[in-house]
Amino acid sequence: MNVRRPLVWFAVLGVWLATPAPAGAHRLDEYLQATRLSIDDERVRLEIDLTAGVAVAREVFAWIDTNRDGQISNAEGDAYARQVLRSVLLSVDGQPASITLTEIRYPQFREMSLGAGTIQMRATANVSATGAGRHQLSYFNTHRSEWSVYLVNALVPTDPRIRIAGQQRDRAQHGLTLDYTVRGRAPWARTWSLLTLLAMAGALSITRWPRAGARA
Amino acid sequence: MEIPSETLRARIVNVFRPLLIWLVIVLPVAVGSAQRAVAPKPAAFAAQGAVTARVVAAANRFLATLGDAERARCTFGFTSSQRTGWSNLPTGIFQRNGLRLGDMTSRQRDAALALVAAALSREGYQKVTDIMNGDEVLRSAGGGRTGGRQGAAAPGGAGARGGGVRFGLDEYYIALLGPPSATAPWMIQFGGHHLAINVTVVGPNNVMTPSLPAAQPAKYTLNGQTIRPLGHENDKGFALINALNPAQQKQAILNYEVRDLVLGPGADGKVIQPEGILASALDAVQQGLLLDVVHEWVGILNDEAAAAKMAEIKANLPRTWFAWSGATKNGGLAYYRIQGPTVVIEYAPQQGDLDHIHTIYRDPTNDYGARLVVP
Repeated sequence: MNVRRPLVWFAVLGVWLATPAPAGAHRLDEYLQATRLSIDDERVRLEIDLTAGVAVAREVFAWIDTNRDGQISNAEGDAYARQVLRSVLLSVDGQPASITLTEIRYPQFREMSLGAGTIQMRATANVSATGAGRHQLSYFNTHRSEWSVYLVNALVPTDPRIRIAGQQRDRAQHGLTLDYTVRGRAPWARTWSLLTLLAMAGALSITRWPRAGARA
Repeated sequence: MEIPSETLRARIVNVFRPLLIWLVIVLPVAVGSAQRAVAPKPAAFAAQGAVTARVVAAANRFLATLGDAERARCTFGFTSSQRTGWSNLPTGIFQRNGLRLGDMTSRQRDAALALVAAALSREGYQKVTDIMNGDEVLRSAGGGRTGGRQGAAAPGGAGARGGGVRFGLDEYYIALLGPPSATAPWMIQFGGHHLAINVTVVGPNNVMTPSLPAAQPAKYTLNGQTIRPLGHENDKGFALINALNPAQQKQAILNYEVRDLVLGPGADGKVIQPEGILASALDAVQQGLLLDVVHEWVGILNDEAAAAKMAEIKANLPRTWFAWSGATKNGGLAYYRIQGPTVVIEYAPQQGDLDHIHTIYRDPTNDYGARLVVP
């Protein structure tokens, strides 16, 4: 029998009992899952911030600290992040999009235990449906729904060609459906590129032309 | 007469060079510039020089009360990470930098609060005072707890696990970022539990975004008076939603719950897709009510800067959205958001608790005076 683990858990319990009394302004019995989505050129970025309330922080920590050593190792942190992402469904134009974790940051247990520490996850999904025209993106998060409250919002696209035309959510904000349009590049922009190329070619030929004359 | 080819080349090049330069360099740049969204210009912050002078003088009076060590703890570089290091959380959960009111002499404390008062309007300073006094009431009552998950049992009262998290009147901090100046940018940061006031001063311009006024309790009695630090924000919000006709309400009211701020601390630079009803769909009276709600946040800052900011928001009113979630009868639980090109305001009761309100005030184009500060 490993005698170290009970000791570690006593230590964690000790930290828990010694943590100061929580005040207002931070969560109590909810696990807040706040997601921001941004539609970019050929990809969707996800920012998922998870904040456990004081009364549920111990349970949340236990979900992550699977070996019960009182620490969140990189492997445990990654495993939990992937578990969260497995609960997230993302699709564009009906096609499921595979989500890749790009960054995960965990607060200290003490911060979490006070209902203030936020787990910050960042992920991306490559999507092929960003061509000109109308598109629909659907996001749905069911991670630990019995414990959680949700916020989900779309950021205003930075690419001026992309415009969000509509957004619908369910009452609890598990999910968000975005209707958006992608504008094709303006014809004049292509014309202008061609003109620029022609001008550059013209400039080049003029500067090279006299040497040809000198040889003649 | 035959012109030597070298001379001819030179003439042609001389004639065409400006045109080529124009075509190859200038025009693409011009077109590119035209394609980019036009950044909003700063509001006409006229006649604010006197305010800045007043605030600078108050800041210098405060600094003069400090010893070297205290001054070192209280002052930071304008571009330091301290600028974004603010929170609504109490000490012990979030460690503020700067000087703590509880560590000051009465002379220093008076000067610190006089500086805050100089930067704010009379009503704004009163609101700040009401929030701070409310926090002291909360502390005296043993701390507050807010639980909201349906079916979840709320644990015992605050204080059950000892001390460590500190709040109340002594736990407000002040910090100055950059030397007080009538010309160079600098900033006043004042905050504690349920309060974060960030005032950036750039020449005659004063900017108060981002700031977070909050309240718990939302209503308390002090010296026989009933105080509601964010009472106007609540009542004016309900007045506005009830001034809309059913068709307008249908547009304004979101069909989902919003349980917290979307753009709270740490969400600098984020612009969410707006929702609700556009102010252009409101009549003049309704627009007036909307501006009146907005003024509850904008008007915390001194009158001169607030007037300029309100003029800017009014100019952008047709592109400003109003969204509501929750009950429409005053006394019920409701969240609302006002979002325009240069303003974002959120009013969010926490976890279903009417006695615990968080709000945020931002300008997506000018948080920390970003539009005014030359990098």
